[in-house]
Amino acid sequence: MKSLSIKATLSPEPADGFHSASGLAARPSSERKAPVPREPSPGLVRIGRPPWGLLARLRGAEGVIFLLGLLILWQVCSTCIHFSGKYLFPAPWLTLKTLWASLPELLKGTWSSFVILVPGYLLALASGVVWGLLVGTTPALNRMFSPFARLTSPVPPTIYIPYAIALLPTFRTAAGFVVFIGAFWPIFLNTATGAASLPQRYRDNALILGLKRHEYLRRIVFPASLPHIFSGMSIGLVFSFIMLTVAELFGANAGLGRFVQLYADYADYPRMVAGILYTGLIVLLTMELLEQIKRRALFWVK
Amino acid sequence: MSQTYNPKNSAPAPGLKAESVHFAYNGTPTLVDIDLAVAEGEFVCLLGPSGCGKTTLLRLLAGLEIPKSGRLSWKGNPITGPGLERGVVFQDYSLFPWMTLAANITFALAKSHPEMDKRWRRDLAEEFLGLVGLRGADAKYPFELSGGMQQRGAIARSLALGSPVLLMDEPFGALDPVNRAKLQDLLLDVAFGSESPRTVVFVTHDIDEALFLSDRIVMLGSSPGRIIQDLTVPFGRPRQRGALTGSTEFLILREQIAERFRQDVIRQIEAESVMTGHADGI
Repeated sequence: MKSLSIKATLSPEPADGFHSASGLAARPSSERKAPVPREPSPGLVRIGRPPWGLLARLRGAEGVIFLLGLLILWQVCSTCIHFSGKYLFPAPWLTLKTLWASLPELLKGTWSSFVILVPGYLLALASGVVWGLLVGTTPALNRMFSPFARLTSPVPPTIYIPYAIALLPTFRTAAGFVVFIGAFWPIFLNTATGAASLPQRYRDNALILGLKRHEYLRRIVFPASLPHIFSGMSIGLVFSFIMLTVAELFGANAGLGRFVQLYADYADYPRMVAGILYTGLIVLLTMELLEQIKRRALFWVK
Repeated sequence: MSQTYNPKNSAPAPGLKAESVHFAYNGTPTLVDIDLAVAEGEFVCLLGPSGCGKTTLLRLLAGLEIPKSGRLSWKGNPITGPGLERGVVFQDYSLFPWMTLAANITFALAKSHPEMDKRWRRDLAEEFLGLVGLRGADAKYPFELSGGMQQRGAIARSLALGSPVLLMDEPFGALDPVNRAKLQDLLLDVAFGSESPRTVVFVTHDIDEALFLSDRIVMLGSSPGRIIQDLTVPFGRPRQRGALTGSTEFLILREQIAERFRQDVIRQIEAESVMTGHADGI
């Protein structure tokens, strides 16, 4: 797709010529007239095209260019700025080498992070969806639960971390618990909203078929709420990563957040920056995985 | 309020009944004093301008709304909620978008005929999809179909259910003339084709459609919604579309119906101007 659009803007040489011909340039008009009829609808082609040739050529590559610019800025910072701590800005290449060297340790950290993240997140997903569907479709449950939800859900979940660590027997259970809290609210709230806003025509049809309550929830309300559930899942996943890494900064002996915290303590900034980059990459990949699942599950949404 | 057995009431196939039904939406009365009796096997059209409450009356008969007062019954049993013996086709495309066409139908059949096996449901679904001109589209999802095709799928679903009562809310409104005519013929086939004809209540605002399809036309007027006339359609069955719609009798009836609606509109305008005090200015 991308390469296609670049080609499309590069290839019609006559279009470019046509544009400048419409300016003040004095050209033998009889010669330049020839390509004009070949242009199917010059007015349409020109819409939205920047008049500068260079920008037109770079179309589709803006994101890469921006990242390259950042990388250059990073390189400049690391070579030109001298702080008292001289390794505060490790150069990109050094960071990359460090990342490669620390990969076994990072992979181990990823494993111990995911052992906490996955169960907490899945528990939040299961309970958030089931409870959300029930609360969203049962006015009495809604009246019962929503005052509590309104009071509790806006509390920044990071605030529970010290208490969870004090309260629960191991760090794993404490971190798993705060991951659960972080992911539960967005998933629950989105599911309940989706269930409550079920289009009337689906409800009417379900009523006419005489579905039992569990069938109604499973076969009608659940699939109809899936778009909402997935947006809750994305927000919940981001939250659970935040919760996890913050919890690891507090008191873990392994994991991604712990990796960053440890090497920051030893002022080993190349390793620390490598850890940050690696964590970003892992979050990106996990989000992409969720996005793929979403695309498959929601193929029927236009 | 238990319905006691009443031989006088149930003697001539009682069918679908609404007795002095009132309905209000947000305090404004939308249906007033509706008395309607549809005999078993009868095809009745509810005809009226938009906003006259014909859809509401259909939803009341379906059990999807509860009347403010009055009684609704099917074969003498009070209607308290939706039931599989009263199939409904809605105006908007009401297939479940996360199921294929065939799955939409087999899912409904699993509820109406739990005793039959999967194979039977599958065959019946294919048969009815063929009847509405969607042969081979059984594995398609609603988003892959045009609006008209989706509506035909919804019609196939409710016909396949085989419910003795069919409640249809402008089911052919979104279709092109050719498919509309085809499906009208199919509906008549299904309704009158077997030994036990189905009871149909069909909402429309199209006078021609009402005359072509029904045994009786119940005309509703607006603000508030009420029955303004109950008209028996004198044509026999089976009906030939071309011959019937060109006949003088058809055209006269059609003009009579249109005239009746015009009168109602004039009455409404006069009533409104009296209420707002501009009557003496006219």
